[in-house]
Parts: sequence; structure tokens; C-alpha cells
Amino acid sequence: MRILAPIAFLVVALLIALSADHPRPAADFVLVQRAEATTLDPQRMSWTQDFRTGRALFEGLVTLDATNARPQPGVAERWEVSADGKTYTFHLRRDARWSNGDPVTADDFVFAFRRGLLPETAADYSGFLFHIRGAEEFFLWRNERLADYVKRPETERTRAASELLWKETTRRFNETVGITTTDRHTLVLDLDHPVAYFLDLVAFPALSPVHQASVERDSTLEPLTGRLLQRQGWTKAGSLIGNGPYRLVEWRYKRGMYLERNEHYWNAKAVRSGTVEIRIIEDANTTVLAAEAGAADWVTDTMAEYRPEMLAERRRYEARYAKEIAAAMAKGERIDAAVAMLPPPEEGERRNIHGLRAFGTDFYSFNCRPSLSNGKPNPFADNRVRRAFGLAVDRRTLVDRVTRLGEEPSNVLVPRDAIAGYSSPDGLPFDVARARRELADAGWTDRNGDGLIENASGEPFPTVDLLYSLGSPRYRDLTFALREMWRGSLGVEVQARAKEVRDFREDLKNGNFMIARGGWYGDYGDPTTFLDLSRSNDGNNDRQYRSDRFDGLLADAAAELDPAKRLTILRDAERLLMEEDLPILPLCGFVTVYMYDPTSVTGLTHHPRLEQHLSRLARRSNAEAGR
Amino acid sequence: MIAFILRRLAITPVIVLTVYTITFCLAWLIPGDPLQQPEGRRPPEEIVEAMRQQYHLDNPLTFYVEYLGKASGVAWALGDADRPFDLGPSLRHRDWSVNEILATGLPVSMTLGLTAMLFALTIGLTAGVIGGLRPNGPFDLASQLFALIGISVPSFVVGAGLLILFSAQLRWFPIGGWGGVRYVVLPAFALSLPYAAYIARLVRYGMLEQMNADYARTARAKGLSRGHVALKHVLKNAFLPVLSYLGPATATAMTGSFVVEKIFAVPGVGQHFVDGVTGKDITLVMGVVLVYSTMLVLFNLAVDVLYRFVDPRIELS
Repeated sequence: MRILAPIAFLVVALLIALSADHPRPAADFVLVQRAEATTLDPQRMSWTQDFRTGRALFEGLVTLDATNARPQPGVAERWEVSADGKTYTFHLRRDARWSNGDPVTADDFVFAFRRGLLPETAADYSGFLFHIRGAEEFFLWRNERLADYVKRPETERTRAASELLWKETTRRFNETVGITTTDRHTLVLDLDHPVAYFLDLVAFPALSPVHQASVERDSTLEPLTGRLLQRQGWTKAGSLIGNGPYRLVEWRYKRGMYLERNEHYWNAKAVRSGTVEIRIIEDANTTVLAAEAGAADWVTDTMAEYRPEMLAERRRYEARYAKEIAAAMAKGERIDAAVAMLPPPEEGERRNIHGLRAFGTDFYSFNCRPSLSNGKPNPFADNRVRRAFGLAVDRRTLVDRVTRLGEEPSNVLVPRDAIAGYSSPDGLPFDVARARRELADAGWTDRNGDGLIENASGEPFPTVDLLYSLGSPRYRDLTFALREMWRGSLGVEVQARAKEVRDFREDLKNGNFMIARGGWYGDYGDPTTFLDLSRSNDGNNDRQYRSDRFDGLLADAAAELDPAKRLTILRDAERLLMEEDLPILPLCGFVTVYMYDPTSVTGLTHHPRLEQHLSRLARRSNAEAGR
Repeated sequence: MIAFILRRLAITPVIVLTVYTITFCLAWLIPGDPLQQPEGRRPPEEIVEAMRQQYHLDNPLTFYVEYLGKASGVAWALGDADRPFDLGPSLRHRDWSVNEILATGLPVSMTLGLTAMLFALTIGLTAGVIGGLRPNGPFDLASQLFALIGISVPSFVVGAGLLILFSAQLRWFPIGGWGGVRYVVLPAFALSLPYAAYIARLVRYGMLEQMNADYARTARAKGLSRGHVALKHVLKNAFLPVLSYLGPATATAMTGSFVVEKIFAVPGVGQHFVDGVTGKDITLVMGVVLVYSTMLVLFNLAVDVLYRFVDPRIELS
């Protein structure tokens, strides 16, 4: 029985360990997301979940209204734009405070934008700042100087040398970059060229200010490389000082965050839930259970494979009460409020799932390079061939039978009706006969009656190399469906090829594909967030589509100061892209699937930008009790 | 015995270094660029290049040496680093160092693993003893069936079933997460089942064998009851194979389970290795492997030493 002693000891130790690890009291609002934030450093953010927390912990000069995505005052209470559209003067509100009580000043923005422009910060969205005069040149200059620095002999790479380079860098920034302050509360941004959607960029979480003193505490110059080494200790709970509606109380890796209303926030009164917990649940089934059992108020992105079936249950419910819903919405109610007033769903129906239109387009890419990566000529370099493959796609069947999330079929790249004032071109229809004609024009017809097409010298159309990425059944299913459509209607051989995601990305970059799965979400409310993908020198132009005409149209639009005329030029550019050259084959809009009970949760916007502000979210009971 | 322990400790670095080297080669060969996002916008080329240099990803040999130096504490001893055992920053989760990630996850996984092993021992011993006492009786058949199910039903099925029944329907336990006794029961039970089943089989087989041994027969002949012989004399010997199984099993359970941790949203280290590999987070992979292999080696040593106490016939040499 001596064996019992160590076991008893173990049990006691475990109980102590477990009870020492107390969960916090239940938060006023619990949201569940499937991935941990990659960073809370605004300048380094690049993922949806990062931006969502970024908007809760920090606030930029302007913010976007969740319901209509229009810029509204943030830290800046007002701003002026010069007549040439190149100078923005922001007047900062005097009551803006950091979560430790320090005032938020124009210098905090200068500091944040400067670090966003340092190559060593590795800010994915530094490009947003490149519209500012001298910004890109500064970035490239610093990059070059750092490259020169490491070439020096090691004995010359001293602390003093790195400090000298740093001094030179700050001087150059102050002298050449169009980011200046006139007093503590006025920030002036001089742009290199007018940017119609600049306020939308300024609202982007990556352009939030950071608290200079706490960031600098974690920064040191590295004598060996000359770089400013910025450690991330300041983003941890207890150290992070933000200026947003919430402050970070706890953040534990893969376990989630606990946020509390920031009492120093200028608009703290408007923050609806006093505490918010963000939990990480990676398993899709578990997230659904959490939503069903009420353990989560909002599941941000349900990936369960049976989502389509759950959405069908929702449609069944809505169909039963179609009249009541229509009547309530005619009175100006939002869909959530209309649904919340109805009797609870019966067996086989549900109302806690929401398939929402997102600001993104699912597409496949055509390789537009003249030759393939193996040196053979690329049939898809010919825009007639690309058009033919586009015309042969039956998008309705794809969304109804394959993807099944209620996506809107789309034959244009910029989501229709998602950007105020922009009207999309028509795009190419589904027309197999015309597809065959286009192929015939390009010299591809069935010359020997074997059902497959050949060129004039009798060579068959090369087997189409159709590339997709592993890990998501969506792309496997879409790829197979497209393969059957093209095989069946165009007389071509299509071979689907799967690659692991990272490998897939390399193939895209190297042009090792004929057609590949794609997809894009817009970052800001302007067509260029989609159209820039096809600019000749754009870093995301995986297709290597190059058109002087297209680039010229984008340049014309950039120079056009009249907003309506500018959007017309962009429409022409998109028409060229979608009706003539088709480097990108759009299939449908993306849908994001939320789970929440509309009878208990309020404040989630359904605007396609899906800019959810945590400060607006609340449980109905809490929200009403608070009033 | 001291000499034995010292000798084993002395070769530990060699073993860990071998594991490190092999893992490093494999991790480096994983295709794809750790600095590229799998989806969405590509960062500017200059930025990727800057990060590549910062993390020494431009040169495998430099990375290998630098990382080993920092992780082992040699760089610190030589005055080249601020602290010892620095496993570097995570390449994917930029706010976290691998040390911080492991420091948050390891206590969770260890608690979960130890609880699971306690469950496994309790269930496995009970089932094994019941089976061994009355072989082929109804209880034995039931316990063998349990063992069969425990071994063959995968934990993602068990886990999902437990969650649906006890959390979603009965609401006895929270749905996923961590923090307190209530959170540990279901994942520990799901994790314990295969171990419990294996222990039950080991014990049952050991009991059957030992019950027929000379000393057991002698004890019975002296008039001791069957149950007394089984529990007082036979069980001790039947437990020996379990003990040698416990060492590596506990180490495995404590270093986390990918599936159970994922289903129950337990923030342990079980997912890190797989996530590290799929994300090509080389520093995370290397850090996890270094810690795992060190733990495994030390655990095996502990079990060997323990064995010596339980069974004095064994000589450590």
C-alpha cells in the first residue's frame, strides 16, 4: 500500500495546480474564433482576427461606421482635405487618452507611421503609407542603408555606428516624409498623389497609433546589423497600452483574451459590454456546440463541414415566416430584429446561423505568362482561350451544388453593390456556344472528330494543369466541378493537381500552373483594392497579367479628382479585365458564416465589409439592463 | 547507481543533439516559405528579405549553429546572449517567443496528461484485476470489451461523443477551454482511454500468469483466500510490466495530444508541433522537439531508476 502515498501526493498536486488556474468571471460578451491572434502590434497585423482585436484595443484617426463603412471621427474629431486632394489635416480631439491616462497626441501617430515605414518592422501593410509623399523613398532608402551597413567589416559595426545611422534615419524621415505636426493636436499628411479612398486607409487598424514610451522600452539598436530590434513584450497583458474602447486584461496563447472597458477612452459611455472574452476553439464541431449551448455569444467563422445543411435549416425557417419577415423589414427593421420577433424554430429549422455576404470574391487565376514554367508555350497567354474557359463556367450550378453557402454567383471581380457609387460592368455570361467560337478563333477546333480540340498543325490542346491547395474541401470540390465543366463542354483534357498550401503559394509565384484557385478579400472600400491585383508590377499579380491599357486606366483614375468620373474610369478598367482579357475568372462572392442567437445578441453588422466593432456588441439582456 | 545515473545524464545531450539535427534537416526540407502568408496579401519583397536575415533563414548552417547556441545556453555562457535556453521567437505568432508558448502550454498539457494517467491507472488496474481474478467470467468479458473499445475507437470520436453528451446535453461540464477542475475531466478521460485499455490488458495478463506461479500456489495452499493472494502478492508482480510502460506513456501523455487538445480547445502544447510543421514555423518546431526529447530521455531514466526500487532483482549497469 506504499504505492498509494505517491498517488495521493499526485492527486493533491494536480488539484492545487488546477484550482490555482481559475478562469475569470464570465464576461458580458463571449466570442469564439478559430485562430489565435498573430500579433497585437497594429503595424504588424495582417489577419482578420488581428484587425478585430486591433479595433478594440486601438483607435485610428478615423474609424469606419460598422453599418455603412463610411469614415467617422476617431481620434481626429474633424479633418480638412485640400482642393488638390493631396493634403489632409487632422484635428485630434483633446480628450483622447491612452489606457494609462496619457493624452494621445499627433506625435504618437508620427511615431507609429514612422515605425510602419521601417523595413525592420516588417509591416505587411506599409504599402498603405506609401501614398504619403516621400514615404516609399524613405522605406527604400533605409533598406539600402541597412544593406550597406552589414557589408562593413565587423569592427566598424559598433553601437555608435548603429546609433549614427539611426540618427540619420530619423533626420531623413523628418525632412523628407510628408508626415508633420503643427501642434500637439494637429497632424498633417501630405500625399504624393490624390487618393480618393485615403480616409478608408487611415481607418485601417494597421495605421493605428502606438504608445511610444512602451514600444521604445522594448526596442534596441542591433550593432551588428544596424537594425532597430523591436521586441514584442509590450503587446502582452499588463504592458499593452492602447487607446481603443477596451484594454487588455489577459492574453494567454491559444487560450484567448479578456478585455475590459477602457475607462480612459473618450467615448467609453458608448462601449456596450463592460467585459469581452475572446476564446480560441480550433475544432469546428466544438465551436458549433459552444454556440448551440450558449457558451459563446458569437462564433465568428464556423467552418463545420455541415454548414450548408445548417444554412438550409435557416432558409426553411425564414421561408415559413417569409411574410412576417418581409413586413417587419418593410417597416425598417433589420433582419436580426425581424427574426428575433418570430416564434422559436421547430425541429429541422434554426435561426442562430447567418451566411453573410463578405467583401471578397472567389476566383480562379489564369496563367498569363507567354510560356509555362517548363518552357512550353502557354495556351492561356491568348485572351480568347481565357475567355472561352470563362464562358464555359456555369456559376449557378457551382454555388447551388458545390459550395452551397448561399453565395451570389459573380462574373465580376469587385463585389457588386458593395461600394457606394460604383456600378460594375456586365462581365461574361455562361455561354458554351460562344466559348467554342472563341476557341475556334484562337485556332482550336476538333479537327479529327475525336471530341478533343487541336490546333492547325493537329496538335491536341495541352492537358490543362489545374492547381488547387489542400486543406479545404471547398477548393477540391470546386476544382473537380470546373474540370468536369471544361472537359464536357470544351473538348479539353484537364488534370487537377493538389499542393499543400505553402507549396501551392510557391507554384503560384513561379507560374507553375495553367489555372489555379485564387480568391481575394478587399481591404478598403474602393474598386482598386481588387483591381490593383492585375497591375503589371503588383506583388500579388500571380497571373503576371500585363496590359499597358489596363495600367493606363488605373493611372488615369488615380489622377482624376472628380469621384464620379474616377469610378467610371475604374469601371472601364474592370470591363477590360472581366470582358476582354479575363486574367481572373470570378466565380462567386465569399460568404462568412456567423453563429449567434439573434434573440440575444445585438450589434453585429451585416454590411459586406463585416467591420465588427467589439464595442457595439452586447447581449440583449445586458444592453437593456444598462439602459 | 549514482554512476549509472551520471552516465545516462552524460549521454543525454548526445541523444538530444541527434534528435535536434535530424529534426532540423527535416524541418528545413518542408517546402514553402515560412515568411509568406498562406493566403491573402503578400508583404513587399524587401520586408520578407529583412525578416529572412533577421531570423537567419537565408543560411541553414548559420541558423543551425545560432539556434543551437542560444537554445543550449552555450551562447549565454559565452556572453553572446542575454539569457540561456532561448528557443527564439515564433515565426508565425510574432508576439510570442517559443519559450513563452511552451511556458503557457506545458503546465496545461502536463496537468492534463497526469490526470489522464491517473484515470488510466485507476480504470486499467480495476478492469485488469477484475478480469484476472475470474478469467472468462462475465466481468472479465466486460473488461476485455472495454479494453478493445478503448484501444480501437479513436479519440476524436470519443471526444466528440463526450462533449455532445456531457457538455451540450447534460451541461455537466463546460464546452472546451481550460481553467479549473471542471475543465479537465472530459479531456483527461478521453485521453486516458487507450492507456487504460492497455494497462488493463497488461494487468490481466500478468495476473493470470502470476496466479499460476509457484509462490501463489504455495500461498493458496497455506489457506489464504484467492482474493488475498491476488491483491497482496500477485498484483505487485503483475504490476511490473505496467511500470515499464508507464514511463514513456506518461511522457507522451504529458507532452500533449493533438486531437484531444483540439477537440476540447485545451491550450496545451500538443498542437504546437503539428501547427509548427504545417506553418513551417521552424523555431517552434525545433523548440518543441528539444523540450520533448529532453523530457522523454529524463522520463525513461526516472523509470529505470524507479524500477530498481520496485524490483530489487534488477541491477542497474
